[in-house]
Formats: sequence, structure tokens, C-alpha cells
Amino acid sequence: MIEVEGVTKRYGQRVAVDNISFTVNDGEILGFLGPNGAGKSTTMNIITGYISATEGTVRIDGKDILDQPEEAKKDIGYLPEFPPLYLDMTVSEYLNFICDIRKVPQEERKQSIDKIMDVVKILDVKDRLIKNLSKGYKQRVGLAQAMVGNPKVLVLDEPTVGLDPRQIIEMRDLIKKLGRSHTIILSSHILPEVSAICDRIIIINKGKIVASGTPANLSKRLGGGRLSLRIAASEKQAADVLSQLPGIIKIDLRGSFEPGTVDMVIEPEEDVDIRRPVFNALSRAGYPILMMRPMDLSLEEIFMQVTTQESEVN
Amino acid sequence: MIGIYKKELKTYFSTPTGYVFMGFFLLIAGFFFAISNLFSMSADYNGMLGNLTFIFLIVVPILTMRLLSEEMRQKTDILLLTSPLNVNEIVIGKYLAALTVFLITLLITCLYPIMMSFFGEIAVWEIIGGYIGFFLLGSTFIAIGLFISSLTDNQVIAAVVTFSVLLLLWVIDSLQSIVPTTTLSGVVFAAVLVIAVALWLYSAARNIYVSLGVIVAGAATILGIYALNKDVYTGFIGKVIAWFSLMSRYQDFSLGLLSLSPIVYYITFSIAFVFLTAMQIEKKRWS
Repeated sequence: MIEVEGVTKRYGQRVAVDNISFTVNDGEILGFLGPNGAGKSTTMNIITGYISATEGTVRIDGKDILDQPEEAKKDIGYLPEFPPLYLDMTVSEYLNFICDIRKVPQEERKQSIDKIMDVVKILDVKDRLIKNLSKGYKQRVGLAQAMVGNPKVLVLDEPTVGLDPRQIIEMRDLIKKLGRSHTIILSSHILPEVSAICDRIIIINKGKIVASGTPANLSKRLGGGRLSLRIAASEKQAADVLSQLPGIIKIDLRGSFEPGTVDMVIEPEEDVDIRRPVFNALSRAGYPILMMRPMDLSLEEIFMQVTTQESEVN
Repeated sequence: MIGIYKKELKTYFSTPTGYVFMGFFLLIAGFFFAISNLFSMSADYNGMLGNLTFIFLIVVPILTMRLLSEEMRQKTDILLLTSPLNVNEIVIGKYLAALTVFLITLLITCLYPIMMSFFGEIAVWEIIGGYIGFFLLGSTFIAIGLFISSLTDNQVIAAVVTFSVLLLLWVIDSLQSIVPTTTLSGVVFAAVLVIAVALWLYSAARNIYVSLGVIVAGAATILGIYALNKDVYTGFIGKVIAWFSLMSRYQDFSLGLLSLSPIVYYITFSIAFVFLTAMQIEKKRWS
């Protein structure tokens, strides 16, 4: 549905987005994750045709955003970082204006506006001036605006920023619901949000893609199969047994948290499942395992890892 | 385009802008009409319109300062530019909305000649000709204001710059008599123009070779023309200034004459600035 190929954006000497390529499939929700200033908004502005890339192409449903802008833009609804609202209009005036500029036929207008206002729950404020609305309502009006004309693709830049916790949950549910009928790209710097909503995640830092995959996939790949153990033995006894096992690179003692036990983290060689050998060896030696837990990285840890070490994980 | 037009027109009358423009315009126009036609019992309506043209300096910035700068400040330009509209439609829609407000105001002032007709014969066709000129001059100024509004996201700056530029155009005729007319000054001025174009190109495209090429080609042209016919450069500065003299072209209308060349001039000037506005917006997306 969306194909981004080798997109680069330079502002003079500064490179804001550096050779980014990815595709988004039909009906997928893609999460765009990165610290502030990583190039998320710039990328989204390029995808929606607000600014043009220095190099590279963007195609929406096979239509190039620069060569066939009118056709391509019809397929995109965009909620930018700051919702583009005319504060002196009422909500329904505003949505009517959006219908005008998105060329929605007159006869479908009333019905489609009513439906959108119902979905994003702004029917009760439809005759109020936008400048008098709360932040949460403004954000929802911004989302309503993106849905006008029923575009196939929704691009949402930080849709939950500035909302209170309950509104955040409502907004997430709404996006998930929209995801059934739309292809969605959303950006965020809030990790739980992305892992809760998205089918796939792209992590971007300093204008480059540093990691991508499903949330589960990312955490497994970057976690590297480490195990956290609690063993009823002394440090030395447990370490002696484990150090004789093949396939273990590193044993990391974490001290004792319960009397007569020891906690440790062991790191296996890549792609080796060492849970069974560890269990067998320790039970033969007569040291019961009280706890064994795979150390998959949480998204926070992945995020910190890829954005601070800049390791290429693709 | 119609969507933008409707929205702009509505904004003029849902904010004070439209009323301030109309109110101020009608107040001054009424004042002028009373002084120069009613109290002095003169039927020279076109002369009054000619004197009234100074009002553009004040009211045109009111009308145009908001047009594009406010979109940029509120970041709603992103909405328009990511919609299926193209830039020309956006700019033309806005321009036509401003023209419409101006035209409505002008139609109200038509009451004045109607009032005059109660007291005697009026030269109907001359007055219509005068109105056409007045409208064309105004729409040219509005196009300039529209362009300046696209340069900044601050309304106040847009208004002040528009006022200054219009003021400059106002006094440009008197500049013509004081600039040097020697051949050398003409050559120097042409060279300065070429360098300015090259610098502008460099700032836009960041390509030193293109700019150098322009300078070399420009220098060759200047020297070539100098070798062929150096009289071209005598009074060259004055001639260039005369191209921008909007007011001198209004004199015919003031006398009640309707001639083609000033009409074509004003329309071309307006189209050029509307086009430049679209270019300016387009350029911002590329830089």
C-alpha cells in the first residue's frame, strides 16, 4: 500500500532523514518509534506530500506522491503533530470545509460527516467553536479531519500526545478499530502505546532505521535468549556446574535474594536453547531451580539499546 | 478552489478583518466624496476616485496580511498542501476572495454617483471607466499583498512590509527624476541586476556553477549591447523604474479614458504576483 524507497531529506548540510526504505502492507498498522528529533515527523511530512524528499520516492497504492499528487493525496488522511484546525470555525463548519477541499461529493457529505463524528465521538460539540474545545477534543477533531473522504491510508503523527490517560486509552482503541479498515502509520515516542497497537514497528534514530519487526520478534532477537535463574545452592556450587555446560558464553552473578539461594543471569551462544541442559545439569547435581525466566528485552530496553549504541540490527 | 474561496470569504466576515476593511474604506471614501463633490458642487467623480487611490496604502495590507501568513502560523497550511488541491487553486481561491470583498465595497460606493445623478447629468461611461481602473489598480495591489503574505508567518510583518512596498510604488515616479541618467550608471545598474539574480539563484538552488554561468552570460549580454548600441544605457535606471510605475498608468482612467495598455499592464502584473505566490509556497516545500 505504501512504498517508501531510499528517501533522504537534507536541510543544507544537515541530514534529517537518511536513506529510509520500507513498505507497509494493506491493512497493517505500522508504528514509527524514535526519540524526539529522530526524523519521524519529517518522514511523515514526506509520505503525505507536505514537503518533498531530496532523494527517493514515495508511492501510495502505486501512485507516486510527486508525479500524481492529486490522486495519491486522495488516498491519505493526515493528522500532523499539531492538529491543523481553524480556530474560528465550528466543528461541523470545519469538517464541511475539509469535504470541500478533499472533493467529497455533495450528496454523500452529511452522512459521512455524521458517521465520522459518531466514530470519534465529537457529535456533542459539533456546533461549538474549535478554539473553545479542550485539547482532547481538538485532537479528535484532528483525527476526524484525517478520516474525511474515507482515505485508504491514515498517517497519524503522535496521536495521543497531550491527552489524559483515559483519553489515551480511548484514542488507542479507536486507532485499533480504524486499523481494521485502513492502513495506518503512526508515530510515537511512547513505547507501550506502540507495542499495544501496532502490528509492526520501525525504530528510527538520527534519520536512520535502526531496527524493525513485530514487537515480539524485536524483543526476542535483541534479547539473545538470556536466562535469569534462581538456584538453591551457593554461588560457587552453581557456577561450577554451569561452567561445565557447553554453549554458555557468560555467567553473571546477581547475588542472593533469598537465604540459601543465588540469582544469576546466563547468556548462551547465539541460537542455542540451553534451558533443558541447564535444568538437567542442575537437577543431577541436586541443586533445585526455583525460578527460570527468559530475559526478553522489553521495548524500553530495545529502544535504549538501539538508540544509544546505534548497532545495526537488520 | 471554490472550497478555499468560500472559506476565505467566510473568514473575512466572521473575523473583524472584513468589517475593518469595509468600514475604513467607506469612511474615507465618503469623506472624500463629501469634500470634493458634494460641498464643492463638482461633478468630477473620476478626479475624486484618483485622489482616493491613496487609501490602498492603508486598506490593502488589512485585506491581505492574514491570507497566507495566518495559515503558516496556525500550521493549517499543512492541511491545504496535503489535500488533493494543487497550490495554484489554493492561491487563486484566496486571491479571488480578497478581490470579492474589495468589489463588494466598491459596489457600495456606487451609491455616490447615483446620488449625484439626482442633481444633474453625470458622465455614466466615464465613471464606469474610472471604476474599472480603480478596481484594476486595487487588484494589482492586492496581488502584491498576497505575495508578501506568503513570505512570513507573522501578520504584522506582512502588513508593514506590504505598506512599505506599496508606498515605494507610490513614490516611484518621483524617484525617476532624481536617479542618474548617464550611460555608465546604466551599465552599473544592469550589472547589479545580474548579480542580484545570480545571488537569488544561489540562495535557491545552492549551485555555484549555475550562478557563475548567469553572471558570465549576463556580463556578455551587457557588453554586447554596449558594443552595439550604447544609447540603451542612457537613462536605463529610469526606464526600469518606469516598468514598475503603477500610478503613472492610472492617469488615463483618472481622466475618464479607457485604454487597453494600462488594463493589460495591471492584469499582467496581478497574474505575475499570484504566480510568484504559488512559486514561493512550492519552493518552501523543496528547501
